[in-house]
Amino acid sequence: MGKNSNRFRTMVSVLISLYLVVIVFPFVWVMSASFKPTQEIFGEGAFSIVSRNPTLENYVNVLQNGILQAMLNSFIVAGLTAVYVVLVATLASYAISRFKFRGKNLLLGVILAVSMFPQMIIVGPIYNLFMKLNLTNSYFVVLPYSTITLPVAVFILVTHFNKIPMALEESATIDGATSLQTLFRIIFPLAAPGIFTTAIIVFIAAWNEFLLTVTLNTNKSYHTVPVAISFLRTQFTILWGDVAASTVIVTIPTLIVVLLFQKQIVAGLISGAVKE
Amino acid sequence: MKRMGFKELLFILPAIVIIAFFSLWPIMKVINYSFFDYQLNDQQKSELSLDEKFNVDLFNENADYVAMFIDMNRDSFPEDAQGKVDEVVADVNELKMLLADKSGLIELSGGLKKQIGEQYAKLESEAGYFVSSYDFPDRENLKLVMEDMGKCFVRSNFIGLQGYYNAIKDERVRTALGNTVVFTFVSVAFELLLGMGLALIMNKAMRGQGLVRAVSLIPWAIPTTVAALMWSYLYDGSSGIVAHILQTLHIVRDSKDLLLSGGGAMASAIIADVWKTTPYMALLLLAGFQTIPAVVYESAKIDGSGTFNTFFKITLPLLKPSILVALLMRTLDAFRVFDLIYVLTGGGPGGSTETMSIYAYKTMFQQTNFGYGSIVVILMVVFVALIAAFYIKVLGANVMERD
Repeated sequence: MGKNSNRFRTMVSVLISLYLVVIVFPFVWVMSASFKPTQEIFGEGAFSIVSRNPTLENYVNVLQNGILQAMLNSFIVAGLTAVYVVLVATLASYAISRFKFRGKNLLLGVILAVSMFPQMIIVGPIYNLFMKLNLTNSYFVVLPYSTITLPVAVFILVTHFNKIPMALEESATIDGATSLQTLFRIIFPLAAPGIFTTAIIVFIAAWNEFLLTVTLNTNKSYHTVPVAISFLRTQFTILWGDVAASTVIVTIPTLIVVLLFQKQIVAGLISGAVKE
Repeated sequence: MKRMGFKELLFILPAIVIIAFFSLWPIMKVINYSFFDYQLNDQQKSELSLDEKFNVDLFNENADYVAMFIDMNRDSFPEDAQGKVDEVVADVNELKMLLADKSGLIELSGGLKKQIGEQYAKLESEAGYFVSSYDFPDRENLKLVMEDMGKCFVRSNFIGLQGYYNAIKDERVRTALGNTVVFTFVSVAFELLLGMGLALIMNKAMRGQGLVRAVSLIPWAIPTTVAALMWSYLYDGSSGIVAHILQTLHIVRDSKDLLLSGGGAMASAIIADVWKTTPYMALLLLAGFQTIPAVVYESAKIDGSGTFNTFFKITLPLLKPSILVALLMRTLDAFRVFDLIYVLTGGGPGGSTETMSIYAYKTMFQQTNFGYGSIVVILMVVFVALIAAFYIKVLGANVMERD
């Protein structure tokens, strides 16, 4: 028995290690390529993991090429989206969780349907609207981001509000608190972890958004990370050194967010069954 | 639960406004677009016009010349045609009077439409009579001017269901649908099987749960375009390590075939997607496993249930709700795939990885054909609805109740 379970444990460890290697390998490989000079990437050294003449020239190249501007843009749009979507979703989710009203199921149904629609469906009309109102190439792109983030935010938050016992608010009401006071003084502090989780999930979703920005913000100075990165591929000759260095740079913020907030992210994923 | 008063309505109002404006209104618009031959780069089709329109300026410009070319050549016509010359001049004046206070592009409707239509037809046949019956110096000029004048009627670009009919018969739509279905089915199947296996293993692992969780989140959290770009480097025919390994193992004949052959490109896209989303699937399923109380397993063991029996008779049925919701979300995501393929293959080679999203995008933003692109998107929505209905009605996925 003891021997058997030892073998079992070893097998589990081996499989887990194998899995970790498969997931991490592309990152490691790209990182090693980012330090290779061009002749090594395309020539003899293409398949060796250690560079013979490590260099920082790829990093210098891409840093001069506006990758930092793209990261700044991503921070701005993701931050703005997280703030307003979480605010709007918090109010709505609180009402859905706490009040009885006609059409509640309809509202939930519509939110669910919106989360299932292909994002492609809103792009045409939004493009026309933004052209007409002269809003292309601006941070107003965060408004249509609501289509991909609001449903998820509402789902996560409703789940969280449902877990907070009703009795707390009832006693607050007896003590004479208004709905808004109850929300901000009693519920908000209790729901803070859920709200924070939602904010992170929305932030990541907005950070990763591609389709709307690539169609609405064609000007390079408004490109976000995903869009700026995609343009590296469509160039006539692909400079893999630049690609590798950019990939490493733009992955760092994601890595930090994931390492710091992994528990909240997993909690959010499970209660929202979030999209990619 | 409290009944909602006016103040509480304010809680949901912002959400309703945002959803209505940025989700529902565009959907209505798209449905509207789909009934028109709506192409941004074609002047006559760049707006949705239900009614016929009339270009007053263009008419005025040409009508004068029509009258002039006939009047000036009076001497070339025989005696009995002189009356007809006056008639043409009178017709032109009559039409100009009808349009006296108008300019630019106007909508023709009701009585005006009838009057102008009849008067114009009369002018056209009378002036046409001169062109076809007599030889005179300005005959060719008159012909040209009349042709130009004919363009002042801007026909409605309403086409009803014609676009849908074209889409159903469009070979490219069928190919795109086929590619989308293959991509969705294969990648989701792999993700489910691998994700399930991984979740089982993670559940048994004693150490390093935090590390495994953090590493699993990274592929999910990075932008899809970054993942696609990374993989396109690994797949590269001359310097990509994955392509090189596959060639060395004789899985592909030539490393360049990977992205340059249809099957290779599709397989590459699927592998990249499986890499990116299997960890996410595993985390969702792991959470499901951990909600099953240990007591259940203990009693199963006491009753003499083997490992496989326990898995199929206890774990799977208890896990069914979480599996179905995760599967539904993944299936829809895979069906809508855009970023990954746009960056990795652009739909190529030769359309062999072109999915519905890619085709819709190309139609709308490369050919600027918003009408037809909208139809492709609507077809996508129909399939998304069918998939959702299948999961919810047939398999019994419960998407409304969470936790």
